[in-house]
Amino acid sequence: MTRIAGVGAYAPSLRIGGEEFEAAWGAFDAPGIETKAVPDADEDPLTMAAEAGRRAMNAGETPPDQINWLGFATTTPPVEEGDLLPRLSSLLGIEPELTAHFGGSTRAGTQALVTGLETVDGGAGLVIAADCSRGAPDHPEEHAAGAGAAAILLGADGAAVVERSDSGTVTPGLRFRRRGSEQTERLGVTAYERSAFRETVVEAIEGLDVELSAIEAAAIQAPDGGLPYRAIRGLDLDAEAVGAVETVSALGDTGAASPLLGLASALERDLDRTLVVGFGGGSGATALLVEGNAPVELALDGEVDLDYPAYLRRRGELTSGPPEGGGAYVSVPTWVRSVPQRHQRIAGRCADCGSLGFPPEGACPDCGALGDYAPVALDRTGTVEAVTEISQGGAPPEFIEQQARSGSYASAIVAFDGPAGGSVSVPAQVVLVGGQSVAVGDRVDAVVRRIYTQEGVTRYGFKVVPAEAGP
Amino acid sequence: MRDAYLIGAGQTAFGAFPDESYRSLFAEAYEKAVESVGNGFDSESIDEAVVATLGVGGRQLGLPGPAVTEHVGLHNVPCTRVENACAAGGSAVRTAVQAVKSGMADVVLAGGVEVMTDMSGDVTKYWLGVSGETEWERLTGTTFSGVYAQMASAYLESTEATHDHLSQVAVKNHANGAENPDAHLNFGCSLDDARSAPTVASPLNLYDCCPTSDGAAAILIASEEVAKDVSNEPIRVAGVGSASGRVGLFQRDTYTSIPATIEAGRQAFEMAEVGPSALDFAELHDCFTVAELLAYEDLGFCDRGEAYTLIEDGVTALDGDLPVNPSGGLKSKGHPIGATGTGQLVEVFKQLRGRAGSRQVDGARRALTHNVGGSGGAVVVHVLESAVAA
Repeated sequence: MTRIAGVGAYAPSLRIGGEEFEAAWGAFDAPGIETKAVPDADEDPLTMAAEAGRRAMNAGETPPDQINWLGFATTTPPVEEGDLLPRLSSLLGIEPELTAHFGGSTRAGTQALVTGLETVDGGAGLVIAADCSRGAPDHPEEHAAGAGAAAILLGADGAAVVERSDSGTVTPGLRFRRRGSEQTERLGVTAYERSAFRETVVEAIEGLDVELSAIEAAAIQAPDGGLPYRAIRGLDLDAEAVGAVETVSALGDTGAASPLLGLASALERDLDRTLVVGFGGGSGATALLVEGNAPVELALDGEVDLDYPAYLRRRGELTSGPPEGGGAYVSVPTWVRSVPQRHQRIAGRCADCGSLGFPPEGACPDCGALGDYAPVALDRTGTVEAVTEISQGGAPPEFIEQQARSGSYASAIVAFDGPAGGSVSVPAQVVLVGGQSVAVGDRVDAVVRRIYTQEGVTRYGFKVVPAEAGP
Repeated sequence: MRDAYLIGAGQTAFGAFPDESYRSLFAEAYEKAVESVGNGFDSESIDEAVVATLGVGGRQLGLPGPAVTEHVGLHNVPCTRVENACAAGGSAVRTAVQAVKSGMADVVLAGGVEVMTDMSGDVTKYWLGVSGETEWERLTGTTFSGVYAQMASAYLESTEATHDHLSQVAVKNHANGAENPDAHLNFGCSLDDARSAPTVASPLNLYDCCPTSDGAAAILIASEEVAKDVSNEPIRVAGVGSASGRVGLFQRDTYTSIPATIEAGRQAFEMAEVGPSALDFAELHDCFTVAELLAYEDLGFCDRGEAYTLIEDGVTALDGDLPVNPSGGLKSKGHPIGATGTGQLVEVFKQLRGRAGSRQVDGARRALTHNVGGSGGAVVVHVLESAVAA
C-alpha cells in the first residue's frame, strides 16, 4: 500500500490583512480570513510547487532520483496550454517515468492525491497542488484569493488513506473561470451556492465509513473562512476539528492546495486521524480519511505586511508591462541549453585540474583547458562576494515590470560550494522583501522563481534569498 | 617597426543634440581633426579609416563605417568598423597605429561616434547594458551601473576607501569638466552634491555615474615622414597596450581590479620605456567613480588599496603631481560610447600642444589614455608624448 511519506508546504512570505481592504473599499468581503498570502511578482504556481516539492522530499528524506511519478494540480496554471510538468520536474531535479496534470476545479488537489495513491506502486511519487487565484479587484473572490502550495511525498511508509468517497451535483456557477480570463468568478447567488457547497461536501463525507465525532482534524476545502463551518453544520463533526487545521484565515483561499495544506497542518500537529475534503465548483467533492503520521517541512509563515497600494503593484494592477523590445536578447533555444544551470545549479568540474566552472562551458576558468567538465550540483547555500541593490530606473528591460511591481532587488555574485570541496562564483538575483538587505559575506539560499517572461515564454530559474540559518 | 604620430584631433562637444545625426556629428569631428593638422594638410592623403561605434539604438548596425566616411567625402579607402563596447574608440586608435607602424598605410583616420539621447524611454532601456555578459550577468538584473556597483561593494569592503572617496572623484572631474566647453556636464559640484545624490545601484549614486551622451571624435595617425612634413608639433605614440578579459565579472578571479588594465598598461609602459612616474597626466576610463580608483592601482599609480590616498591628497587634481582626467573624464565630459576613446586622444592632443585653456596641465609633455570596454572585457592603453620630449 502506498502511503503519505512526507509533506512539504510553501506560501509566499508577503501578507495583506483584511483591514487594508476595508480601508480601501469600506468592507472586506472574505469571511473568516484575517490575512492572506500574496505571491511576489516573480512567483506563480510552478515556483510555489517547486518550493513545496523540495520540502516534501526533504521531510521524507527521499532523494530526487527515487521519484517515479509526479502529479501537479492547479487551477491557475501560468499558461492555459503548454506542458508544465517537464519544467516542474527539472526544477525539482526529478526524472519521473510518468507525470499527470490536474486542473479544472479546486478539487484537483485531492484528485491528484487519489490518482497518485492508485498509480504509484513501489518507489516514490510526488503530488503537488499549488494555486494563487485572482478575481476582479472589486469582487469578493479577489478579497479571498490567497496563495500556497502543498506537496505530498508518496512512498512505502507513513500515513495511510484508509477511506475515500466522492460526490457530484449539477450546480454550476459556484467558482469558475471563463476561457481567456485570469479572474475567477462566482455568481453571487448566496443561498444557492452555500447549499450546493454543503450538499456536495456532506454527500462525500457521508460516504465514508467513519465515526465523525471522533475526528479531531477536518481539512475541508475553504473558499473562504466561513463555508467549511457552514458545510458541517448538522453533521456529528466538531467545528473545532475544522479550526484545528485550517490555513484559510492566514493564507486566504489556496484553491487546489487548500485541503492538502490542512492535512499538512494536521500532520505537523501529530493529529493522526484527518478528514480531508476537496471541493470544486460545478460541483464535485472527494473525501478522504487519513490515518497515521508523516514528517513535514512547512514554510507557511508570513514575513512582510503589504498595504493595499503595494498589493495592487504586486498583482500588476498598476503597472504597464515590459517595454517594447530591441537590444540584447536571449533566445529560447539558448535559454533551454542553460536549463541544468538555471534549474539545478549544475556546475562543471574540469577534467584537467579539478576546478569548478560555472556555467560549465568554454575554457576552464583556472587552468584554461578546453577539456570536458564533469557535471556537479552546487549546494543550495552560498556566500555573497559582491552585491548591489538596483534602484528604480536601474533595471534592464527584462526586469522593469518585476521592479515596478516588487520594488528594488539586489544582484550579487555568490560563491556556491561544490559537493566535494571548492567553490565557484555564480551571478544571482537576490529577492529582497520588507526592507531586507544583503552585504558582502552574507549567506544566501537558492530558491525557484520566475526570471523573466518574453514573447509569452516564462523563463524559470534560481534566485537567492537571505539564508534561513546563520553562517 | 616605424613610429606612428598623432598629427590631428578634433571632436564635437559631448552632450544631447537632437538636431544632429550620427553622420553630422562625425563630419564635425572629422573637419576639426583635418583642420587641426595645419601646414596645408590635404584630406586626400588619408589612406585608411577606422570607425568606432557600438551602434546604440540600432540606427546603422551594418556598415556604420562607410556610412560616415561617405558622408564626409572620404571614398575608396579601406574602412573598418571596430566594436569593443566602450573601448571601441581606443581599439580604433590602436588599429590605426598598427596600420601605420606596419607600413600598410601612411595616414589613417580613427573616428568614433555615438548617438544615445534621441531614443524613446523603452528603446533606451533595451540598449543599456548590452555589453554586459548577456546570458547570466544581465539576467540577474544588472546593467553597467549594477556591475560596477558590485565591484565597488567588494572594493569598499576590502580597502580603507569609503564612499566619500568615490564622491571626491566626481568632485574633481566635475571641477575639470567645468573648464571644458566640450563637456556634457560642464559644471562643478560640491562634495555634498555628490554624496547626497539619489542611489542608482548601491553603493553607487547618480554622481558616481557618467552620463549617456551624443558626440563624435576623430584623430589622424601618420607615419614619421608625413608627420614631420605636415605638423609643427607632432605627438609620438610611444606606447600601445591592449588586452581582453572575461566579459562577465563573476568569471574573473578578482572584483577589485581589472586584469585587462594591468596587462594593457604593462604593454604600453614597456613599449614606451617609461613608468607611471614619467607621466604628466592621464585620461582614465571613469565610467563610474570607482573605476578611476581601480585604474590608479591597476596602472601602478599607487599600491593596492591605496588609490583613495591619491584622491584624498589631491595628487590627481588638476594642480596635483599626476592630474587625472583634466578633460572632466567620462563623468563630466561625457560618454558617447564609440567616441569616448578617440575623445581621450583629442584631450591629449590639446594638452600636449598647450591649448587646453583654463584646464591646461602645466608643462604637459607625456600622457596616458585608458579606455575600458564593458566592465573590463577589453582595455586599450596608449602613452603619447610630445616629439620634443622623446
